[in-house]
Amino acid sequence: MKFYVCIKQVPDVDAPIQIKDGNLIQDTDRMVLNAYDASAVEEALVLTEEHGGEVEVVLVGPDKAKETIRKALAMGADKATHITTDDEVDYDSAVYAKILAAFFEDKEYDVISCGKQSQDTDAGLAGSMLAQHLDLPYATNAVGLSMEDDKLVVKRQGDSGQEIIGLPQPCLVTCSNDMNEPRIPSLKGIMQSKRKPMETINLSDMNLDETALSAKTKVTGYMEKPEREPGQKFEGEPDELAQKVAHLLDEEENVV
Amino acid sequence: MSTLLTHIAVSDGKIKRASLEVLSRMTQLAEANGHSSEAVIIDANASDHVDEVQKYGASKIYAIEDPIFKNHQNTPLLKALSKVLDEADPFVFGFGSTESTKDILGALAANTDAAVLSDVSEFELIDNGIKATRPVMAAKILSTNKATGDNILVSVRSGSYDLNESPTEAEVENVDFNFDKNELEATLREIIGASDDKIDLTEAETIVAAGRGAKDDEGQELVEDLASVLGAALGASRALTEAGIMDPSLQIGQTGKVVSPQLYIAVGISGAIQHVAGMANSKVIVAINKDPDAPIFDIADYGIVGDLYDVLPPFIEELKKIKG
Repeated sequence: MKFYVCIKQVPDVDAPIQIKDGNLIQDTDRMVLNAYDASAVEEALVLTEEHGGEVEVVLVGPDKAKETIRKALAMGADKATHITTDDEVDYDSAVYAKILAAFFEDKEYDVISCGKQSQDTDAGLAGSMLAQHLDLPYATNAVGLSMEDDKLVVKRQGDSGQEIIGLPQPCLVTCSNDMNEPRIPSLKGIMQSKRKPMETINLSDMNLDETALSAKTKVTGYMEKPEREPGQKFEGEPDELAQKVAHLLDEEENVV
Repeated sequence: MSTLLTHIAVSDGKIKRASLEVLSRMTQLAEANGHSSEAVIIDANASDHVDEVQKYGASKIYAIEDPIFKNHQNTPLLKALSKVLDEADPFVFGFGSTESTKDILGALAANTDAAVLSDVSEFELIDNGIKATRPVMAAKILSTNKATGDNILVSVRSGSYDLNESPTEAEVENVDFNFDKNELEATLREIIGASDDKIDLTEAETIVAAGRGAKDDEGQELVEDLASVLGAALGASRALTEAGIMDPSLQIGQTGKVVSPQLYIAVGISGAIQHVAGMANSKVIVAINKDPDAPIFDIADYGIVGDLYDVLPPFIEELKKIKG
């Protein structure tokens, strides 16, 4: 079974951020493997450990994203492809999906997977876009995967419950971080990752036309969220506090 | 004059409130800018919902009715949406940001080469597209965005706009739609539903959410009692859904549902940013936690520092008295 997992390097959302003149100032040293992609890598590893096969990760991003590829290899992925871009690009989900679609055009695979969204932008679009470009059956927001004969069986979280979907291969699936706890690379894994094959393709050598690379959506700036009015914090006798707050909700807020 | 089209999502026989919020916004934008507000209902019983959609100002309603739409499946939904997009040629095509929308929005954009912005909290029209605000970085900050093109797709977080009735007499067009089941490569085998009588979290006026602090049986019972007194929907932090203590469909946060009730009571929830990302837009937030330094107190309107086992019983009693 050949698994491709599309991964992305993202800023750590737990790191402090600042906004200055509409620009986002963040610690560029704190870049991480997107948590949802890490779950996709973990699940691909579990399935290939059980059923045999190979896991290859693909990342579109600047040179410094190599460390994120190493992380996935250290977790246990067999090989990697890095499609390198300039440091400062403002691609949207649609552009990433087109780049990946061009990469997969001549590839053979059983399953392509990725995180259901990036933890920095939460857009959640690139996965189903890629499926559409490649004309693959797909499922998003998977919370569980299993193999059954030639089918990938996906448990996904839908609006009114969990849907169990059988996908013929080849197919594409986007993963929630609720499906597993991604493994922490072992020292051995980290050592081995340095010897694993990593192919580098320069984006400019992929012959994508200008329209494919021009984004229809742009981030024009950043701003702080409107502050909530500071609230009241009560400490003391539980009975009194409970009564007081119950009455505030009724008389001041009219919400009970 | 251009068309502003809204997708009306129907789930379990009911229109999703998020769709009507988007339709309300679209009707308002259409009136202010001389455009036409239209809607599309795609459901096994689409025509049943026409009357309700008319209340929110759609001047034309496309109805696509087929038994295949009884349950969400991305292939037929995509086909129907592509067809109506082709026919209505909307300048803006709006969606409530439900799980079903998230499943197809990217694919629809790729399929039709439309520009797309997902999960916005505000949007307005500009000359050649839309301007929109999106929460990013686990909803710690907002980004401002622009999408340009002939067709723009936008999905809107639930609770972003108020419902606004402005009844019209709509022209209803039944769109021919044929779907051969053999076209289905992906097969929906089963739906493991949360029980039917539960209140949809994204539409609830009051939510009682439980966290790690309420993970044992006694804590669960107290949380359920509180929810029942208030007629509230139950929610959970990731700690409890991951541990299998509460149903995964009840998870609130960056990974789970985004909610905006009138009253949100967080019981034993510390308030990690991933959780706050899903509930910070609640009108009134109450936090009950024994750790006085828990981050949930930073965003709570009313914080009670105390053990939930001591606080909840008198709180429930007092609310019972108030509710009479």
